[in-house]
Amino acid sequence: MNPFLVVDNLAVDYEAPDRRVRALDGVDLTVEPGETVGIVGESGSGKSTLGSAVGRLLPQNAQSVAGTMSVDGEEVFGLSIGGMRRLRRERLGFIFQDPIGSLDPTKRVGAQLKLALRGRGSAPDVARHLERVKLPDPRRVARAYPHQLSGGMAQRVAIAIAMASEPELLVADEPTAALDSQVRDDVLSVVFTLAAEAGSGILWLSHDLAAVGRRCARVAVMYGGRVVEDGPAAEVLARPAHPYTDALAGSAPAAAAPGERLQPVPGRPPVLTGPSPGCAFADRCRFAVQRCAVERPRPVRVRTQDVLCHRAAELAESGALAAHAPPPSRMAPVPVPVGEETT
Amino acid sequence: MRLFSWWIRRALGAAATLVGVSILVFLALRAMPGGFAETILGPFASEEQQRELAQRYGLDDSALAQYWLWLQAALGGDFGTSMISQEPVADELSSRLPVTGQLAVMAVLAAVFIGVPLGVLTAVRARADGGGTVGRLLSGLGVSLPEFVLGSIVVFLFSRYALGLSVGGYVPFGDDPAANLRAMILPAAVLSVFAISATARTTRDAVLNVLVEPYVTAAVARGESPAFIIRHHILRNAAAPVVVLITTITAYLLGGAIIVEYLFNLPGIGSYVVQAVGRRDYAVVQAGVLLAAAVFIVLNVVADLLVGLIDPRLGVTATGRQT
Repeated sequence: MNPFLVVDNLAVDYEAPDRRVRALDGVDLTVEPGETVGIVGESGSGKSTLGSAVGRLLPQNAQSVAGTMSVDGEEVFGLSIGGMRRLRRERLGFIFQDPIGSLDPTKRVGAQLKLALRGRGSAPDVARHLERVKLPDPRRVARAYPHQLSGGMAQRVAIAIAMASEPELLVADEPTAALDSQVRDDVLSVVFTLAAEAGSGILWLSHDLAAVGRRCARVAVMYGGRVVEDGPAAEVLARPAHPYTDALAGSAPAAAAPGERLQPVPGRPPVLTGPSPGCAFADRCRFAVQRCAVERPRPVRVRTQDVLCHRAAELAESGALAAHAPPPSRMAPVPVPVGEETT
Repeated sequence: MRLFSWWIRRALGAAATLVGVSILVFLALRAMPGGFAETILGPFASEEQQRELAQRYGLDDSALAQYWLWLQAALGGDFGTSMISQEPVADELSSRLPVTGQLAVMAVLAAVFIGVPLGVLTAVRARADGGGTVGRLLSGLGVSLPEFVLGSIVVFLFSRYALGLSVGGYVPFGDDPAANLRAMILPAAVLSVFAISATARTTRDAVLNVLVEPYVTAAVARGESPAFIIRHHILRNAAAPVVVLITTITAYLLGGAIIVEYLFNLPGIGSYVVQAVGRRDYAVVQAGVLLAAAVFIVLNVVADLLVGLIDPRLGVTATGRQT
């Protein structure tokens, strides 16, 4: 089977009035049909830019300066406007961070869902789609305006709208960042259950390595506009092969035992103005050597992972990167309690 | 219940505003140097003649007594008679209302049907070409060009070169619609320049604000076409400030387009009231200003109701988000 999404050495720049900022600095990534991939990185790592680029939804001042990205063989940045529209309409789905903001405030939920169903939706259809995202009392929700919904309910509506066209790949950009922690898991369960039913792949952008690891089959860690580590979720989490992944895993609240101090990643992420001369993480890396600052690392294979690190093999052999306790497995969809209320 | 109390509050507020306006106008008129008697009889009239005239119209009573008398009558729907024409003020004003009303309607229609599409177009294009400079310059010019300049140019051009439209010569629409439109189209066009420019500019800004909303990005991500997105997601969301502006322009124009009415010699409310100020025709000024204030209040309510219909979050009975 051909991969659905192929990103090859993609570089994207943002043009600011006074300077140029490099958001993606040569990203390599493939997503097989139906595969669930988590993209993990801090803000500024380029993960949102990557997510937007999949649908060519980048802001006006962004431009792809190198590399290619293809969806099922079609080059995204070479498509006509009409072709891109068809691709978005028929094969891609998007969920955004701000659930209430991504719904039209002047239209009732039912009317918006109907628009997304392209006029084929009758009232029972609308109710059925709302039921599929585990919304209680779908008829009432259909009559509500977005501002009358809670964030969790609005995100379910957005999911119903995005999944109505049964996309082959669902790009979810921090879909739960704005939600209460209790609601997060329920919403994620809905996303992954619906995607599995429809056979959709998922590209889930998040800063939460542990959460991504629980849900996705594969994890790609981004730093400085590149994918620095890419491998099976369980492996990446339990035995990180890149110093940055290792630091990220050590800084997660779940990684620390009660009473133990969290290990923050020292320093701050870089703002690139052009291609990074070496490894973008070199400044913050406790294993950095002179070579790291001047030579761009090439992907190397460590166990099951593809890693961008000059010292990856050496670090793996020496066991310098700590083994992390695997997170509690939560792959099975959790039944969603019916309890959220309108108005 | 919420709606009912809203109406009560609005009505009380309106009544208080109208009384306040009437007091202000009353005081302002009495504070002007030269009363009715002096103005009408001229500088050479004897004091006795002046006193006699003032007495005839009750102008020698105390200001408070005069106001009280006027207020009582006005509450009963009687706005008095013009001291110049001896006609009831209500009749005089209502015979002039159609002229002013027609001017306002024509200018506002132009604003809606030319200004709004222009604004949407320039906003959508501004995103594409990153500028929209020409549109911005033109609308800036239209907003800032004074009516007396534009009006004078138009009057000069059309009276000098007889370009097929007449300047002046107002005929009621009912008598001869074609002649009426010929006389009204120029003054309405002069008024509409401001209305169109202001509307286009406000529409443009409102649409630009909506274009960056996440739900527009979401619609683009669903693969919708620009026309679809404009129709279904942008127009209504951008409408609120435009509706407020257009109702304000309407109210302003209904109060009388003084300069344009003068320039084009139209028997509208604006020129009538200004004339009355010059002649110290107190009852006319009082009623004219009150009418303009009432129009403003009513149209403000209309704007509030419309905005509530357009955006459910802003409705007068909107409950806000309760979770």
